[in-house]
Amino acid sequence: MTRTAHLPPLDELAITARVAVSCIGHGRDAHVEAMSSGRSGLTPCDFPGAAIPCWIGQVSGIEQGAFPRGLAAYDNRATRIALAGLEADGFAARVAAAIARWGSDRVGIVIGTSTSGVEKLEQVYRRWSGDGPLDPAYSLRHHNDHHAVTAFLAEHLGIAGVGYTVSTACSSAAKALIDGAQLVRLGLCDAVLTGGVDSLCLTSLYGFEGLELLSRAPCRPFDVRREGLSIGEGAGFLLIEREGDGPRLLGYGETSDAVSMSTPPPDGAGAQAAMREALARGGLAAAEIGFVKLHGTGTRTNDAAEAAAVAAVFPHVPPAASLKGMIGHTLGAAGAVEAVLCLDAMEAGVVPGTVGLDQPDPTLAIAPGARPSTGEIRRAICNAFGFGGSNSALLFGLA
Amino acid sequence: MKARLHIDGVGFAAPGLPTAEALRGHLEGAPFAPEAEWKPMPASLARRQALRLSEATRVAIMAAEQIAAALPADCPWVFASSTGEGGTLNEILLALRSDPIMIQPLRFQNAVHNAAQGNWSIAAANKGAMTSVAAYDATPGIGFLKAAMQALTDDRPVGLVVFDAPMPPPLHDKRPFGLAMAAAFALSPRRGPESLAALDLAVVADEEATAPSVSGADPRLADNGNPVRMLLPLLRRIHRPEDGAILLDLPGSHALRITVSGCRDG
Repeated sequence: MTRTAHLPPLDELAITARVAVSCIGHGRDAHVEAMSSGRSGLTPCDFPGAAIPCWIGQVSGIEQGAFPRGLAAYDNRATRIALAGLEADGFAARVAAAIARWGSDRVGIVIGTSTSGVEKLEQVYRRWSGDGPLDPAYSLRHHNDHHAVTAFLAEHLGIAGVGYTVSTACSSAAKALIDGAQLVRLGLCDAVLTGGVDSLCLTSLYGFEGLELLSRAPCRPFDVRREGLSIGEGAGFLLIEREGDGPRLLGYGETSDAVSMSTPPPDGAGAQAAMREALARGGLAAAEIGFVKLHGTGTRTNDAAEAAAVAAVFPHVPPAASLKGMIGHTLGAAGAVEAVLCLDAMEAGVVPGTVGLDQPDPTLAIAPGARPSTGEIRRAICNAFGFGGSNSALLFGLA
Repeated sequence: MKARLHIDGVGFAAPGLPTAEALRGHLEGAPFAPEAEWKPMPASLARRQALRLSEATRVAIMAAEQIAAALPADCPWVFASSTGEGGTLNEILLALRSDPIMIQPLRFQNAVHNAAQGNWSIAAANKGAMTSVAAYDATPGIGFLKAAMQALTDDRPVGLVVFDAPMPPPLHDKRPFGLAMAAAFALSPRRGPESLAALDLAVVADEEATAPSVSGADPRLADNGNPVRMLLPLLRRIHRPEDGAILLDLPGSHALRITVSGCRDG
């Protein structure tokens, strides 16, 4: 018998609350409506300082409004997006209830982010004289430090349990869920706030522009004319508790490509291995999966590799879709934002389509659904892949 | 959580101390004599390839490769760093001040916090589960905690690398580190023939972290602001078991207590 046999099974844990904020809106209703109708929230890029003819997924209604008193040091675009997440669908109250139930030091926090509050530091650099010290008022600890947004959330919500930040580029937030489940199963926490936050910033926009990966049209995942991604921003939070009602994380897989920092192998071998591991941990066969929420960034190579991987894992490919034509690529937050949307769709009886997909690329190994439909999905796999060859697959089931 | 892990290998890299053996020598009395211009140069990367990577990534990989032989192929690895690729980020932020703005593709893809982890997976051809975590000054404690969770959940060995490097000006003043440092540990839930020491880990109520100076290391190592310095007492004790636990900070109202016992004397 291995030690793992002594741990509570993964499916005993419950996702008792969840929320997402993206360019589509704040909370469940807006996202379910958009997934049902196939609406995109992408708009032409008007992000300050970004002279790139691309499209972005910008969260609205965050610039104005009060910031929590006493925490002004953390005020930046990323923490404001995080706040919008807490305020939607009564999510902060659900965290407060978990703290009341388990005690503040038994509630942990693991947040995934790629850029944290770097958007604030960009402004500081652009205002800097080019010589001497940076603006003395700027605090690295409260803004661009990777742990800053996590520290803000812990302080704001009164979470005193173990907390840290996962930063593995665009798989960050998916991996944060895995860590949350580990913390509960190993008895370190009774509840963990997991998820991800990332904001639009010039670093991401010009970085992907330098890679020639920003689509000039709203991104078109798996389309024959796809030419790259559209960057979005958002927050996705999932509260994992030792026991309770809600959907389950039934399995997960984590692998490394080990071939390139930015390009997967053509057969998506690492992605295949991650999905197979998720199925194995969940004790499920591929045929028992009702939906694959694709990573589907809309770049030529990534979509081709993911299509090959899904075709290899699923002899009969279930309905599958990318959500990035709707909300853009929310980078470090994507793994959580899209997991929340997938669970929202499952509970609402919606099978999402791939917004932006018009002519499926006939050279790809799968043709994801273009249009949304209604239908029952009991179990779904959510893919999230990132720079560094970092692959993750989460397997969710409705209780 | 109470957990026992065995240390099957140790790695270290800092200016003047390119290996764990060199650090051990220093902690046993050899002088600390860092080169003025030290360039960490991992053996597992071609020199030209290595020079495209940041100092932080190179020092991390130098420590990682010292423990790789003590771990199974494709085992999980945990990379823990507070500032990660802060130096690379600085170059991007400077580029954002120019007109027109151009960010070099290689620089951008290596600006992610997990650049060290990704480049190590490529260098080692390791296709396993890897992650990168951060928790400001509590990063070393979180690195150990995450590595322990990974080892215990799946009952298998795990590699841990904790690293940070000084950022260039003007970012340096915002979080000054005196030196680049990396420490690596091959950890296993089971005792093996090569096990150096056993670690009993427990998450306890917040207590003050063990001062790096108790390791006897030169102040340029023990008092340089780099979070990796917090691991110096543990690195000393692996070879010289002494009574008393070592405490590492964790975020929140907790600390990680590590009790070290020797494996060589049974």
